[in-house]
Amino acid sequence: MKGDAVPRFGKGVKLRLDANGPAMLLVPETALELNESAAAALELVDGKRTLSEIVAAITQRFEVSATEAREHVDALFARLGERGFIRE
Amino acid sequence: MSSPRPLSLLCELTYRCNLQCPYCYNPLNLRAYRNELSTEEWLCVLRQAAAMGIVQVHLSGGEPTLRTDLCRLVEGAASLGLYTNLITQGTFLDDALLDRLVESGLDHVQVSIQAPQTELADRIAGAAVHEQKAEAVRRVLGREVALTLNCVLHRLNHDTIEEVIGYAERAGVARLELANVQFYGWAFRNRLALLPTAEQVRHGEEVVAAARERLRGTMEIVYVLPDYFGDFPKPCMNGWGRQFLTVTPNGDVLPCPAAAAIASLHFENVRERELASIWSFSDSFERYRGTGWMPEPCRSCERKEVDWGGCRCQAFLLTGDAAATDPACSLSPHHSLMTSLRESAGKAELAARRP
Repeated sequence: MKGDAVPRFGKGVKLRLDANGPAMLLVPETALELNESAAAALELVDGKRTLSEIVAAITQRFEVSATEAREHVDALFARLGERGFIRE
Repeated sequence: MSSPRPLSLLCELTYRCNLQCPYCYNPLNLRAYRNELSTEEWLCVLRQAAAMGIVQVHLSGGEPTLRTDLCRLVEGAASLGLYTNLITQGTFLDDALLDRLVESGLDHVQVSIQAPQTELADRIAGAAVHEQKAEAVRRVLGREVALTLNCVLHRLNHDTIEEVIGYAERAGVARLELANVQFYGWAFRNRLALLPTAEQVRHGEEVVAAARERLRGTMEIVYVLPDYFGDFPKPCMNGWGRQFLTVTPNGDVLPCPAAAAIASLHFENVRERELASIWSFSDSFERYRGTGWMPEPCRSCERKEVDWGGCRCQAFLLTGDAAATDPACSLSPHHSLMTSLRESAGKAELAARRP
């Protein structure tokens, strides 16, 4: 995915943030538990923000380098994209 | 032991169905479930489920679209923040119903076909419905709702597995579930006629592996392995009373959709007891929760928290003891019940599902 691409969720994919438990990505017929950084990135997927904007926000929030944040978000989106959970 | 948090609720809204598939896992005594929960009772179940932390609701049956209150139940679940999945054979999914379902907040639909060719599919379903289902698949794909196409595989259609994949590809399906038949209810009764051959299973695995490679990123193929051919049992329900619960049309609460077959257990009903209380404290959920109930060879097995002793319902159906190690396990003293079945399969008559 290029930096100016706007990622959005695939059909039937929903992020669930829960004060009492781990964040989850609800997908067809199952739920994927998310760690904090994955949840933080997915929370920014709104069909408006670009990949670069999401990476910038993660860089700031987790105090990591832009390269590290980009690698992290790329890997996450690639993994979810393979199953159609994230699309451009 | 303290009870874990349930994640998923299967609502079997009705056991009524206009098809007669011989592989159906519904119980044989369908008439015993005619006193169905009302709309208000189902909405109450959904509220209790959401309060327990459940995140996903599967609306199934029988054929759930035969319930005239289906959209209200979808709306009720969606308004509670629950992910809603409709499991249907699709014969009633016309434009009007689908539009209402999507407006009500439906997230996902699973439509099943019996085979990729009309003649064979209609023969298995016991009704001329394949073309209607193909229409339903097209309608779902054109809307903002996710689709899984499902085909249950068994001896009669296993050889068409490549055509099922081709059918899904041509239709533009992004998620295909190829589920080898599981032997419960009507399928258990028909197991000798439905059990695939070892050659069919081996061929199926090859076809699926090649298709997954070829369709990576385009179509996800979920392949449910056949129980009777593996060395280890499936981790049924990911463990008894660990993540899943089922409510039957009349309100019985089951740890597994096939559990009603276990005659040695008494299942409680949402008309008489709160869902959370049944989940946490009822004998039927506590009996096989965790690992403390396990006999040998499970008790000392390093896989006991991998496959959770396999399936209690299958253990009961085959050995008469729900606490036995699942005979699907090669370490089970009853494993020969499985292997001998493989040898005698293929020579039986099929009984069509009927009330």
